[in-house]
Amino acid sequence: MAKKTYDLLFKLLLIGDSGVGKTCILFRFSDNHFTTTFISTIGIDFKIKTVELRGKKIKLQIWDTAGQERFHTITTSYYRGAMGIMLVYDITNEKTFDDIVKWLRNIDEHANEDVEKMILGNKCDAEEKRVVSKERGEAIAREHGIRFMETSAKANINIDRAFSELAEAILDKAAGRDADPDHARIAVERRPSRAPPAKACCS
Amino acid sequence: MSEIENKDTVTEEIQKDFVEDGKNKLIVKCKFCGSKILEKKTAKYVTQEKELPLMQQDANRKEGEVQKEMIIEYYHVDHMYVFENIGFTHPVENHKYLICADCDAGPIGYFDLDSKHSYVALSRIVHS
Repeated sequence: MAKKTYDLLFKLLLIGDSGVGKTCILFRFSDNHFTTTFISTIGIDFKIKTVELRGKKIKLQIWDTAGQERFHTITTSYYRGAMGIMLVYDITNEKTFDDIVKWLRNIDEHANEDVEKMILGNKCDAEEKRVVSKERGEAIAREHGIRFMETSAKANINIDRAFSELAEAILDKAAGRDADPDHARIAVERRPSRAPPAKACCS
Repeated sequence: MSEIENKDTVTEEIQKDFVEDGKNKLIVKCKFCGSKILEKKTAKYVTQEKELPLMQQDANRKEGEVQKEMIIEYYHVDHMYVFENIGFTHPVENHKYLICADCDAGPIGYFDLDSKHSYVALSRIVHS
């Protein structure tokens, strides 16, 4: 068998209401002149990205919901094996922010209980249309003990950083385990959740 | 048959420059953005006749038509986690097309849903 070329494998999901920009986070077709209409018509299923954290080579497998959220059919099968979840809302749309609580419940119901979560307030490039303040985003994240960041898929702000931080949080959890992707998910005692420091965005 | 002969000549040259022990001698990157797709020596060089949709489809093509070209040379990747960075489209028949994970350029190859193996077209990537 070929030698394994990585240390850990993390499956990550993007969750949130339709139109919050989940697909743009995964699929940067918005401003991209290389992307052909052929690819945008078919749509993207998932991506594999390799990051290096603390000397470990980590493969991230990142999945989009492919519009399942519209039909409220996000169930256990989508969440199966997920180690990290990006919970996305749109800072220019109040309802998507209100629905974060609903999504958190859905995650509690269907995902592994030790899944690492992060809330993303997306579209932070659209400051003039903002209706959800950054403070409210931070507050809800703090309340649930989850990391928070504002991002812009369109302007490519904080996207890579968000994935690295989520991966790092999963790594923290798996710390001390064997470098075996099949066992990296075993829960270890969780440190008290820290409210993440405010992240600069669009500045 | 001159076209086929030409292809053979090109194939030999590519093999000399980019293939060592049947594998990719160099790092495989995206042509457009330079994103690293494969580490050195992680994929097997294979030749097969397989059509891939063009990366740039003619705007004046017939509605619903997909323009394709025949590609002979591929890197065969036997497991998806061998890739450094890669994107998969939704399935079309028994394939998912492969795209660059950073700029979404594609298709640069395809993933076969039956065998779970991936094939990257040499003509749609660069070596470095």
